[in-house]
Amino acid sequence: MLTVATGLFWYGACSAVLSGSAKTRTATGVREAFVTSQLADALSIIDLASMKSVAEVKISGRPAGIAVAPGGKHAYVTSPESKELIIIDTARRAIVRRLQVGRGPLGIAYSPKDNRVWIADWYDHKILVRDGDTGETLGEVAVGKSPSGVAVTPDGRYVLSADRDSNSVSIIDASTLKVTGTVTAGGHPFGITIDDTGTRAYTANVTSNDVSVIDIAAQKLTSTVQVGSRPYGVALAQDRAFVTNQAAGTVSVIDLASLGVIATIPVGSYPEGIAASTDQRFVYVACWDDNTLQRIDAKTLEVTATASTAEGPRAFGQFLQ
Amino acid sequence: MVRRFAFLAALLALVPLPVSAHGPSRQKVIEIIEINAPADKVWAVVSNYKDMTWHPDIAKSEAMDGYEPEKTKRTLTFKTGGVVTDKVMAYTPETKYFSFMTDEVDLKTMPVSGYSSYFTLTDMGGKTKVEWKGAFYRGYVNNDPPPELSDAAAIAAVTAYQKRGLEALKAKIEAAP
Repeated sequence: MLTVATGLFWYGACSAVLSGSAKTRTATGVREAFVTSQLADALSIIDLASMKSVAEVKISGRPAGIAVAPGGKHAYVTSPESKELIIIDTARRAIVRRLQVGRGPLGIAYSPKDNRVWIADWYDHKILVRDGDTGETLGEVAVGKSPSGVAVTPDGRYVLSADRDSNSVSIIDASTLKVTGTVTAGGHPFGITIDDTGTRAYTANVTSNDVSVIDIAAQKLTSTVQVGSRPYGVALAQDRAFVTNQAAGTVSVIDLASLGVIATIPVGSYPEGIAASTDQRFVYVACWDDNTLQRIDAKTLEVTATASTAEGPRAFGQFLQ
Repeated sequence: MVRRFAFLAALLALVPLPVSAHGPSRQKVIEIIEINAPADKVWAVVSNYKDMTWHPDIAKSEAMDGYEPEKTKRTLTFKTGGVVTDKVMAYTPETKYFSFMTDEVDLKTMPVSGYSSYFTLTDMGGKTKVEWKGAFYRGYVNNDPPPELSDAAAIAAVTAYQKRGLEALKAKIEAAP
């Protein structure tokens, strides 16, 4: 999963280029959500200004993982059942390539620095590296068991995978494709997100109901924060971490300075994928059971809008562009 | 002896690990029924974690005391002889909302894993709408499942299980004095 932080960095780096684009951006810096609606075999594209679904791209194979960079020309989707990487043209809203990748592609991240795609293979315990345009194989890295979420540091130097069944995080050197460190996390880390300075990573730990805070440079677990039942993903905005708690139907809000939980926001049923707008005003949450995408005001911590999606939205990854 | 051990090792390698399953795609099934009885009366039956024998498939129901999420556990013995264990996930009498989730499932009894049930009761003015929502994975947690442990098999089994349960619940409550 490309981190929210990476998205921030990237947008900042290329905003001058984008300002000439014919497409109007909202004040939030992101325009659309690309939501993998797994049970519908579809990608729901939600306009964030109107909070309405504006397009649906049919994708077979139970799409789950998503990576799209603000301003990026492609969205990258994994379909675990058909074992495919699907490359989508974000402007044309059309599939441009479908490629067989491994045995169980799930989490996915895009690195705009070098146009590479990083795919977690749940069954083969590897991170697969693919070219962002052609999808061709560039390498692979053996990691812990059942890697789920994957994230790239904003400078593109490191890739981190949440290795669910090893209860750990692998830190991969993106240039040598070697694991440089393994950090113990909580029980079954699933989603992983890196901050905009590339300092800390946060994992949502499904079975221990907590979030691991990892110092990337030191390759150490620095803190553990208890959240709600069955946490899934983490987004960062306003010096806060927003964590989806699937079974509780809530989002826990952690103050990043004190690492205390400052609020628990009721959202739709089975909240899963979560991502923040580039200006950090809003956090968007896909609610798998309700077939909705909800918008949380990152300052007031209230749900301020709800959009309908196709059946079973997961949006596992950085899904805003 | 060595040969026997090798056989055992090979056999063990085939058994899926009893992890909290997360196959690629979670499924959902929603069944709804209207019961001609007040919500309090329906709630008393549905929320009794110690006794789920109102479901016609279940022969025996044994639970710990209380309703502590993820701590209070139960063992259900089915009429087929199969055993399913589960635990409380949420219990809110104020809103008449109750949820539990399986730990260990006999796959011959029910070809699912990580099966969560959510009961929501709505007062319809003397009548009660009962919604039973199931969220679950198929029984085979790896890729390329055999047909009897596929998504389709899991959906069919859960749909039938929830339907039978709600129909029996309605019959039991409406027949009660």
